[in-house]
This record gives sequence, C-alpha cells and structure tokens, in this order.
Amino acid sequence: MTSPANSTKSSELARIAAEAAGTYFSSVQFTLTHGLGNGPPPMPVIDPDKDDPNGWPTDFCHFSAAGLSVSVSTWPSAMSAFSGRVQIGTDEDAGHRDTYSYFGHAVPNPGFLNQSTRKVEVLITLGTAHWSPTYREALMQALIIEKLTALAAERDAPVLHLHTPVAPVPLSIKSERGDGSNERLRDAIAPCLRFSIGVDPQMSGARLDFETELAALAEEYGFGLKLSDQRFNRVRGEWFTIRGFDRERFRQARNRLFPRASSNTPRRAAVVSVVGPSRTGTTATAVAALRERGVGVLAASISSMRKTTFINLVLPVDPEVPEELPPWSGGWLDALPRLSGFATLRPAVTDRADDSLIADWKVAVSPPMRCTYPNSSQQTGATTTGRVPYPIWLWWQIPHRTVDTPALLGVVQAALQPHTRRCEIAYAQSRLCRGDVVRGRAKLIVMLSQEKRDHAAVQRLLTDATETAQLRIREQLPALGRVDPSKVRLRLSPRERWLTYAGISA
Amino acid sequence: MTVHLRGRTAIADRPVDGPLDHLRTMIQALPVPTAPLTFPSREAALGLALMDLSFRLDHVPRLSEHLTLMDRGHMSRTISVDVDLDLISGRLRDTLLVPGDPERAGPPSLWVPVSRYSRRDLAPVTIRDSSGEVVPRLSHRDANRVTAAAFVKLLSMLINAHDDVSAPASPIHQLRHTHQRSRWLIEAAITELIMVGAPAGPRLHTPLDHADLLDTGGGGSRAVRDLALLGLDDLFASEGGEVPFARLLQLAIRQYVLVAQLGLGRPRRFLTWDAPLLPAQHRPAPLQSLAKSVLPVNREFVVEYETEIPRSVKAYHLTLETRQEISVRRFLMSCDVDEEFVEVLAQDLESVAHRAEALGSHHKLLELEMQSIASRLAELGRRRLVDLAGYEAYLARLPIPVGPGSAPPPRPLSAKQVVDALSAGDCSLEVLAAFCAHYASDGMQHLAKSDLAGPALRNIAAGLRASQVGRDITTDNDPREYGAHANWRRPSVELSPQSTEPVRVFAFMTLADEAPALIESITRMVAGLALVVLGIGTLLSGGVAWLYSPEIPEDFVPEQADAVVAVLLLVPGLLLARLDLPSTKSVLGQLHQFQRTLAAASVVVTTALAIVVGTVQSDREMTRLFQLALAVLIGILICCVCEFYARRIHRSSPVPRSTKIPRWLRDARRSTRPPVEPDDFFDARGEV
Repeated sequence: MTSPANSTKSSELARIAAEAAGTYFSSVQFTLTHGLGNGPPPMPVIDPDKDDPNGWPTDFCHFSAAGLSVSVSTWPSAMSAFSGRVQIGTDEDAGHRDTYSYFGHAVPNPGFLNQSTRKVEVLITLGTAHWSPTYREALMQALIIEKLTALAAERDAPVLHLHTPVAPVPLSIKSERGDGSNERLRDAIAPCLRFSIGVDPQMSGARLDFETELAALAEEYGFGLKLSDQRFNRVRGEWFTIRGFDRERFRQARNRLFPRASSNTPRRAAVVSVVGPSRTGTTATAVAALRERGVGVLAASISSMRKTTFINLVLPVDPEVPEELPPWSGGWLDALPRLSGFATLRPAVTDRADDSLIADWKVAVSPPMRCTYPNSSQQTGATTTGRVPYPIWLWWQIPHRTVDTPALLGVVQAALQPHTRRCEIAYAQSRLCRGDVVRGRAKLIVMLSQEKRDHAAVQRLLTDATETAQLRIREQLPALGRVDPSKVRLRLSPRERWLTYAGISA
Repeated sequence: MTVHLRGRTAIADRPVDGPLDHLRTMIQALPVPTAPLTFPSREAALGLALMDLSFRLDHVPRLSEHLTLMDRGHMSRTISVDVDLDLISGRLRDTLLVPGDPERAGPPSLWVPVSRYSRRDLAPVTIRDSSGEVVPRLSHRDANRVTAAAFVKLLSMLINAHDDVSAPASPIHQLRHTHQRSRWLIEAAITELIMVGAPAGPRLHTPLDHADLLDTGGGGSRAVRDLALLGLDDLFASEGGEVPFARLLQLAIRQYVLVAQLGLGRPRRFLTWDAPLLPAQHRPAPLQSLAKSVLPVNREFVVEYETEIPRSVKAYHLTLETRQEISVRRFLMSCDVDEEFVEVLAQDLESVAHRAEALGSHHKLLELEMQSIASRLAELGRRRLVDLAGYEAYLARLPIPVGPGSAPPPRPLSAKQVVDALSAGDCSLEVLAAFCAHYASDGMQHLAKSDLAGPALRNIAAGLRASQVGRDITTDNDPREYGAHANWRRPSVELSPQSTEPVRVFAFMTLADEAPALIESITRMVAGLALVVLGIGTLLSGGVAWLYSPEIPEDFVPEQADAVVAVLLLVPGLLLARLDLPSTKSVLGQLHQFQRTLAAASVVVTTALAIVVGTVQSDREMTRLFQLALAVLIGILICCVCEFYARRIHRSSPVPRSTKIPRWLRDARRSTRPPVEPDDFFDARGEV
C-alpha cells in the first residue's frame, strides 16, 4: 500500500517558500564578527535601523572559546542578484582592535527540510582533565568531528548544531537521581563535544544504525558517549550514558594516529567561518580537508540559520607561522592553501572529489590571535581556592522586534554583575520562531564574587544569584524594548534541565 | 518518454505522486509556449503565503461545525472559526496586506485563508462575522491565479537551489539557462492544472486520448516535452517516496482556499459560514437494507461523518441537530491525533527487533531504546485509559444507562504477566494500563535483559496497529435528546510536536425513535384492533368458546352485517389517522418503515375481515376467518413486542458496531459482534 504523502514536509516547504518569497526579501543578509572573547558580545557593525521593522535580525549566534569569539546575525535582505549561492565581503573596520567584521548574502536552500525531524543529541567526552587541548588533541578532535558528522551524512541526516568545548555532565549517582537539586556542580567547560542531528521520525532504522555505529566508534577510540534521554517527558539536558570515557584507549588511539603532532598547548589560534547553503555532509568535508592538511580543531560551533550553515572553527596556529597575517575572506578552494599554512607539519594531500560539496562556499579567516584557557575547574580539584568558573544556562522567548539578542545578553550580564567576579557568554543562539517570537538559549560562565568551597553553599549562592538576576532582567526588559511583560518568558538556572517551561502546548 | 499512469487505484489507495502524473499528462498535451508566463512577484508571494497559512491554519485556534441532517442523504454544515490575526507572523503579514486605498483612513486589512474545501462543492459561500456583516472574500479565480503564481515561483526556487543547476549538461541546468521553453511548458502545465482543477479520479482526460500520435512522431515539440519530463524526474527524484511539491500541487488542484479579508483593527474575529451541502456517499448493501426493512429489529439510523481539522486547532466542537421526533441514541467522536506517534513507535519497535543482535553488543544503547519505547507505550496506555473512563461515564449518564455488562472486572496484572502479554502481541487497554502503572513505579527497568527485547517487539508493533491505540474517543455531552455535541481539545502534550499532518475526525451517530415512539402507538392500535375482532366474535357467538373450541357456533353470521362492517372499517381508519406517519424520504421515514408496514398490515387484516363479514354467509367459514384474522393480529402484536425487545438490545449496546470506533474500545468492552455498515456516510475531508 502506498502511504499518502506527508503533509508535514509539504507544509514546511510551503513555509520556507512563503518566507523566502516575501514581498521584498529574497535572500538572507548576514554579518560575521571575529574577535576576542572576553567581554560582551559585539554589537553588529551595521546597527539596523530600529524603526525599520525589517531591520531587526531574525537569528543570532555567538560563540566564545579559548579567549576568541565569533558572532553571526542574519536578517532578510532585498538583494536578489549576485553570483553564486553565497557572497562575502572583505573585512571592514569595526572600530575595535582585534575585531574583524564581514558582511555577506546567501540564498536559502528550500530543498533542505529539517523542521519535521526528530532530534538526536550526543555528548562526547574526550577527556576528564580541565580544558587546555594540545595540537595533537586538536587533531584528534578534528578527526572525531569528521567521523561523527560523516556518520550523519551517510544517512542524509543534517547536523543541527555542534559545539565544543561544552560543559561536561557529572556521572549521576543512583541515590541522587530525581530532580537534580542535589547533583554535583558542573564544570563550565571541559574537553567535551555536543552535537545534534535531525532524523526523519519515519526512518528509525537510520537512527538506530547511526547510534550503533556511534557506539562502535566510541569503543574504537575510547571516547565517552552519552545520548539525549529519549524517554517521553524527558527534557534537554538529561543524558543517558552509553559508554564511559576510556582514558587509556583514547590516549593510545591519539598517539597512534598522530604520533608526530606536538603535545604543547597552542598559544595562538585563528577563527575561521565557512558559510554556505545548508546541505548534509558539509561539516565532515570541511573538517576532513583541514585535518588532512595537518590542521586540528581547537573549538567549533556549527549551526544553521535560515537554511544557511555557518561552520565556525577555532584553529590552532603553529608557533612558527609568522606573527602578522591579515584577515582574509574568499572562496573555499582559495582558502585551503591559506588555512593549511597554519600547520607546519603537513602531510601530502590529494584533492578529494567530495571537496566539490562546499566548493561554492565562502570563508572568512581572522588573523592568528592569542588564546587563553581557563586555569581552574571542579574536576582538577581547583575548589581549594573556590575560584571556579560555573555554568549558568539561560532560555528566553520574547516577541520579535522588541529587544535584540546582544542587548538582552548585555542585560543578563549586568543583572548577574553584583554576584559575580566575571561573567562571560560561552554561547548564545536565538531564532525567530513561529508566532513571531524570538527564542534563544545561552550558556554563561560565571566566577562567583564570594569564594566558597562548600558544595552546598555554592549551590545556594548560584541559585540565589540566578533567581535575583532573573527578577531583575524581567523588570528591565519592558523598559528596554517597550515589550509587553506578559509576553516575556525567561529562565536562568544553574541546571540546564530546569530551563524548560511546562510542556503544555500553547 | 512514456507517461506512467499510476492513478488507476481506488481513492483510498491513491498513489503518492498522482498529481505529478497529472502534470506529466498535461505537459504532453499542452501546446509548447513560445514566451514565458510571467506573474507579478507580489502575487507569487501572496500565493505562497496563502498556501502556507491554509495548510497549517495556525491562526485558527477554535473550530466549530454544526451539522443538520436535512433528509436521508444530505447534511448541511455551518462552520464557525475563531481567527486570531496576531498569530500570523510579521513577515507573512506584510505579504498578505490588501493593497488599500490611500485616501481611506483606517487600519489596513489582510487576506486570510480560513478554510479549504473540495472543488466539487461549487455552492456559493457567504462568510459573516459576529455582527452579521458579510466579510469580503477573494474570488476563486483570483485565488487560483495567485496559487498558480506561487507554484511557478516555487518551481523556479527549487530549480535555482538544485545542486545540478551549475552543471552545464544536466537537464536542470538546461531548464534554467539554455532550454527555457521546456521550463515554460512545465509552468504553463502547472497553471492550467490549477486554473482548471483536476478531479481525484483516475486520470486526466486530455485531447491526446482522441488522437493517434504514433505516426506523426511529435514534431519539434517532442524534444521540448521530453526535456520537461526529464527535468521533472531530476527535480523530484523522491527520497523515500515523498515529494512535498507533489503533495502541495495535489491539494491545490483538488481544493479551493477560502480567503477572507479581515481588518487588522480587530485582530480577533469570529467568522461563520454555511459550507456547501454535503451529499451522502451511499454504500449499497441491499441485503442488509432489506433485512432492516422487513424484520422486527427496531431499526436505528446510523450516520458516520468524517472530516479533517488542522493539527494546530486547540478546540473543535461538533454539534448535531435533528428533528425533535428523532433521538440521538449514541454520539461519539474519534480522532487519529496520536496515529502518527503510534506509527513511529511501531516502526521503532520493528527496527529495534530487526537490529536486536547488533544492538545487543551495546547493551546500554539497547536499554535506552527499550526505555524510550516503554515510556511511550506507558503514555499511550495512560491516555487511552482516560478516554475509556470518559466513555464509561458517558454510558452511565445516558437516559437509559448502560452498565458494565456481564464482563468480569479486569484483574490486576503483575509485571511479568504484562511483559508476557505484550510479548504475545496483546496490546489491549488492560495490558497497556498495567504496563503504564508498572513503568511509573519503576517496575520496568533493565528491559534490555528482559524477554521483551527481541522478536517480541514485532508482536507489540502489530498489536499496537491492530488495536488502533492512536485514536482517541470523545463523547456526547449534550443533555438534549434530539441534539448532540462533542468537544475535542488538543491534548495538553502534543506527541508529534513537529507534525502538521491534519487530524482526521470520525463521528459516529445513531439516530433512533425513542419513547414516546411510534411503535408504542402502533402496538396500542394493533392491540385495540385485536380486541375489536375478539369482541365482535365473542358478541356474535355469545361466548369465548369460538376461540379454542373445534365446534362451530351457530348464528356467527351477523344479522346486521353492515354495522359490523362499519365498525371494522371505521375503527382502524380512525386509529390510523391519529398516527403521524412521516414521508419515506426523511430519516424518520426510514426509522418507521417497518412499523408503518405493521400498521398497514393490521388495517389490511380488519378491512379484509369487513369484506368477509359483508360477503360470507357460512358460519364455519366466518368463524375460521375470524380466528385467522385474530391470529394475524396477534402475530403483528408479537412483531411489535419483538421491536420492543430489539430496542432494548440496541439501547444496552456497550459499543457501537462501527469500523470508525477504535478497536481498543471494542476490545475493552468485549464487543465481539462484527461491525455493520452505516446507513449514511458523509465525507467532508474536501480532498475528493
């Protein structure tokens, strides 16, 4: 019997087409900013005219790691005629030192339908020490990103997001199960990688094969593997451990695969953004091309916005590479020689056929910049000083065209100010969703102003800080964007799974 | 290039890409255009926005349908919707703006799709708002034009985004850059299909059916057509058999979109309109109909109604009104809101069963899958149990309540019994509910090691599908006897949150003649006539011995025969005139068909007796004929009693015998009788 065509995909196609064919807009305009990571997220250089309703960015993404950061904003654009699918300009002076901005346009790909998919989220543990990867570990990480995304690409499953480094998940002790109020505090960042793919719910076989091969890969390389808990009523941030981290096997695999790579920690790194129309298999291609040229991945943030994929990578730069390299932007094939210049130990590379998958993509490369790593963590016993960075999660939903995301993040940082010595945004992402609301998620890294060693005391401090800050933000937002307070939803919590609002469909 | 006609199956088994076959046929039949078909970009954007909104209708939070059974075979529907313009996103709103008159002040207005209906229904539709004012509509012709513009735009977007568009030798590149006539031909074919529409029938009727083109070879247009068809194949090389574009086109050529002009000044509106009259789709079952008409089964009139509502609708009301003489004996509604969830779960079960060995080496992975399956099974059990409780409450509050029957109360099952029952494919509500309880109390941990992980999962999948646990039940809550109302609310937690698949709603209604019913009057009349015959016979013979004695009483032939004839003719005539017999066309007429026959038969008997009295002179014959008439009247009386008995059975029926009632409910109430076909079936899905 033939099954009737799925209406879900048809209506998604209709929605994409309707949005893409809006009366005045036929493409997506984006700005891309590379810079240093210690500070508020940079405001877009073209500050859209707030009186113009179409000047509000629809999507925003910010990511910061190793002291470097990248942010992307997109909004609809009337520009329709340009060559190729994506266009990127040269670096424009942002007015700040070490900040490099690029503008571009992209044509959305209506053939890329992923709204009707079921999300499978994966947390990979690549180490238990605190995060300061070496050149060798960066290469190993690149290999693992490549393998994971290739597994997804084989099944035509799009990568919905990929982040590294992220907060690790402490092993739950049976007696502490439940609401999580007593669970151990998490580190802000660790050598962990989190990514999610979208699988068609009707193709459970593909999902199971993916998960099985993932588990086999974890066994082969020894990395820890957790999958998002797929039980009904479980929320984001709840994990199911499939395999623990096998330190010895991971070390052996790393040394076997990259025997010549340096075991020093990189002191300089460059931010690279690869931009193009969303397709499956692009991340694997990009990362594979870099790894083959001896370039590892220190940190990564990959996401799709308005059917355009942004692969943001922080690449380690060899100490022998000359100090001054100007910022650069251009096509992927032209960028490869430049990117391979970041490594001095270069294996011989042959051009691969699947490079053509992203041949029409564009790349923006920042100059090598000095990178830094956090010097304390829970796991390494830094609690003796009490000066430990803790993660705080933020979820919000506000009406579109009221408060834009960088401004909101600024308010959040200001609200946490009285309780913290330092407050950084590790990542933030917001999207324009159905019903004309902007929904976003962010992770902040805070260092509390009071140094406490006692676990329960820190828990209490964090909870108090987030609750007070949440109230303060809710008070400030209406004044900032003339937004109806009843339409603002915002949660700030030291536990990721407490962010979710009641799962009752509106 | 040959045209594959795959659209020859029945409507229910319609192939997936039927509309693309229509498109292919149209490409073969249309003359090749020599110039592009250009639509204003504004119209294309408007068409796409209307298409998008009309599929989701997420700006319609509430939908009500009021059904009135006009007669046997026709149903009128009044549809009311609540529209909230604030739910339409800003960018779509810009596109939907009605170009206004700059001199006229006031808030701007939007074109808003409010419903879709079949192109077969060509009745005029007038939309009114809460104040009774008529709301302007976009004409069908304009709606079709913007829809055609939308499809032409969508096609060009898909061509532009296709991977092959920059590969010079590919058909897609040729369509886009070098051989544009083929693209214009596709565009012209799409436009023609949408403007004219195509029925859901087997195939499109084109001039090609009347010509033999084999010898002419097709001329120069052949290459253009072939490239167009090749381009379509490349563009819609389906993955997994699904072509979203085809589905959109299919709906666009079969349905109209009802578009109303609504001012932004009042974003929340209430609109109402009379939908085109719905004809019944008669299902001929001659033997069954005959049996209902000639046997004393106390006929019920069973009506089934099916429609589709958008998944985003939060509340759906279905009301039914009939003539006051007709009672609504049962009114139930069933929606397939969780069907997709169950199907995905069943596929998961089968996939895990298929890969049990591969997953076995990753024990924790198998455990995660099993737990995920268990949690969903438990949720299904919980939901259906709530439905069952609602149904039991409904049966208990009926005017003549229906008890639990003779079925024994469910026995509590242990965790092992539940696992065994599930492994055997028993997905009855009893088992699912017990599973839910065990799961909630952490009794279902370590499932990967249990007997459940493995081939048993296939049995569960089959059991889930067979028991139709994806369908819910909503019951009547209208206290009136001649009306019914069911209110369906979207479940608080949507199990398939991403889906925009419309929800299919089945309504089942049984109409009957309840007390004071015609059968009671007829029974009284027949009993009265029997008494009259008995009385006359007794008076004529001077005792009741004539009834049983083999001897023939003397002087049974009345001396004044005229008086007896008058009594025998007048009394039934008067009694018959007191009965209000309805026309045979109406539903009431159908319900009363057999009872009318009984009344007529009793009158025939007395009339025949009157003739006998007037003509027969022999005592013996007269006595025998009086005995016969009385016997026939008693026979008719027995039929009346049978009718009462049948009515009692109908009233105490625990579950309607219909295929539209989910299997799990029939199983839960231990109903083993086979389903019967309805008397009338109305399909308002608007797709045919």
